[in-house]
Amino acid sequence: MEHMGIEPGRLQFSWISSAESTKFVKVVKEVTETIKSLGPRKHFIKTEAKVA
Amino acid sequence: MLEYTEKIREISQKLLKDSKVDMVIGFRKGTVPMMNEPTFIRNANEVGQLIWDSNCGINLANYLTGRKEKIGIVAKGCDSRNIVVHLVENKVNRDNLHIIGVPCKGMIDRRKIGVIYGEEILNVVEDGEKIVVEGDGDEKVYDKKDVLQENCAICIHRNPVIYDELVADLVEEQKDVDRYEDVRKIESMPPDEKWAYFEGLLKNCIRCYACRNACPLCYCPTCFVDESRPQWVGKSIDPVDTRTFHFLRAYHCAGRCTDCGACERVCPVGINVRAFTKKLEKDVKELYDWEIGLDPNVRPPLDVYKTQDPEDFIK
Amino acid sequence: MSDWEPKIVSFLCNWCSYGAADLAGVSRMEYPPNIRVIRIPCAGRMSPKFFLAALREGADGVWVSG
Repeated sequence: MEHMGIEPGRLQFSWISSAESTKFVKVVKEVTETIKSLGPRKHFIKTEAKVA
Repeated sequence: MLEYTEKIREISQKLLKDSKVDMVIGFRKGTVPMMNEPTFIRNANEVGQLIWDSNCGINLANYLTGRKEKIGIVAKGCDSRNIVVHLVENKVNRDNLHIIGVPCKGMIDRRKIGVIYGEEILNVVEDGEKIVVEGDGDEKVYDKKDVLQENCAICIHRNPVIYDELVADLVEEQKDVDRYEDVRKIESMPPDEKWAYFEGLLKNCIRCYACRNACPLCYCPTCFVDESRPQWVGKSIDPVDTRTFHFLRAYHCAGRCTDCGACERVCPVGINVRAFTKKLEKDVKELYDWEIGLDPNVRPPLDVYKTQDPEDFIK
Repeated sequence: MSDWEPKIVSFLCNWCSYGAADLAGVSRMEYPPNIRVIRIPCAGRMSPKFFLAALREGADGVWVSG
C-alpha cells in the first residue's frame, strides 16, 4: 500500500481480545487520531458512476 | 545457441520415441522476429520445430497447471523455479515431468531493440554475444548484454534448479547483482510522488490481462477480475480499477513470484508490471529471508506459521 | 473543512475485537464515532479485496483488528 503511494497509517492492524474493551477504546482513539492528522484522502477514490 | 536447439530436439525425439512422455513443451519460431511462441510437440517427427535462442522469454511453466499427462518440458532458470512453485502448490506431479534444463544467459528485450533500431525489423540473428538486426534500415549489430530484459540483467538463478537432463553445461551465475535498485528508488519517494509514479506507469494500461494470462502463478479457476458477484474490481479502464487490478494481482503473487519477467514481456503497451511484484519479492526476502522456487520440499513462509514471524505492524 | 471527520472502515473479528467492541458498549465506554464496523468471522477472512473496496468507495482509513 505504502509502496503505491497511499500514506502509511491509512491502513492499520491490531490484535485485541474480546475481554479487552479498554484496549479497544484506546486503539479506536489512536486510529482515529492518526487518520485525522492525515486529512481527507486524495487518491484512489472511485469517482465515476458505478455500473450495475 | 544452435547447440542448444540441436540438443533439445535430440532429447525430445528420444523421449517421444520411447513414449516416456506424451508431449514436449518447448518453443518454436514465431511469425514475427524476436517473438518465439510456445509449442506442444506430441509426435517424434515434429521435433524439428523446436528451437532455442534468446527470444524464449515466455514462462513455459504456465502450461503445466493441472496437467495429468506425462510431459517433457524445456526449462530455463526461471521456468524451473516456477515448476518448483507448481510442485509446492500441488499443481503438477513431479513423476509426470521430464525437465529438460537449459542453462540460460538471459533473454533479449525486443522493445529495447525496437527502440534503438528505430525502423521495422525483419530479421534478427544471434551470433554468440552479438545480436545482428536486419530490417528496413541498415544492418546493425548490438551487444547482447546491452539489450537484455531487465529481469535477466539482474537474474541470479540462470541455471535450472531442478532438471532431469541438461542440454549444456551449467553457466556461471551472476554475482554481486543489486536486485532492488529500482524498488529502493520508489521507496524513497514521498507518498504523493509514489502515487504519481504509478499513475504514470499505468496510464496506458488497456486491461487486456495479458500479464495475468502469461503468469504461471495466475491459475485461479475464476480470477477476481472476472467475478461479478460481488464485483471487486470494475471492468472499465478507470484509473482506480486499473490500479486495483495491478495491486491485487501483485498481492496474489507475494512470496511466489520468481521475477521471470513474462508479465512485462507480454504487455502490449510496455508497462513495467514488475514494479509491483518486485516490491513484494523484496519484502519477502527481507522479512523471511526467502527466495521462492529453489526447493520443492520446503513450504513457503506465507504458508506456515512460525512464532518468530514478524508482527511489528500489529498494535 | 475544519469540521471534517474521517470515515474509518473497521474490520473486526467476531471473536476478538467485535467482542471487545460489544463489551465496550455494554460497559458504556466512550470512543470516537468515526469507525464503521464490519464484522468478519475471523481476521483470517480478511482479504486485500476488502480494504481496497473500502478505500475505493471513499473511506479515509481502514482498520483491521483480530
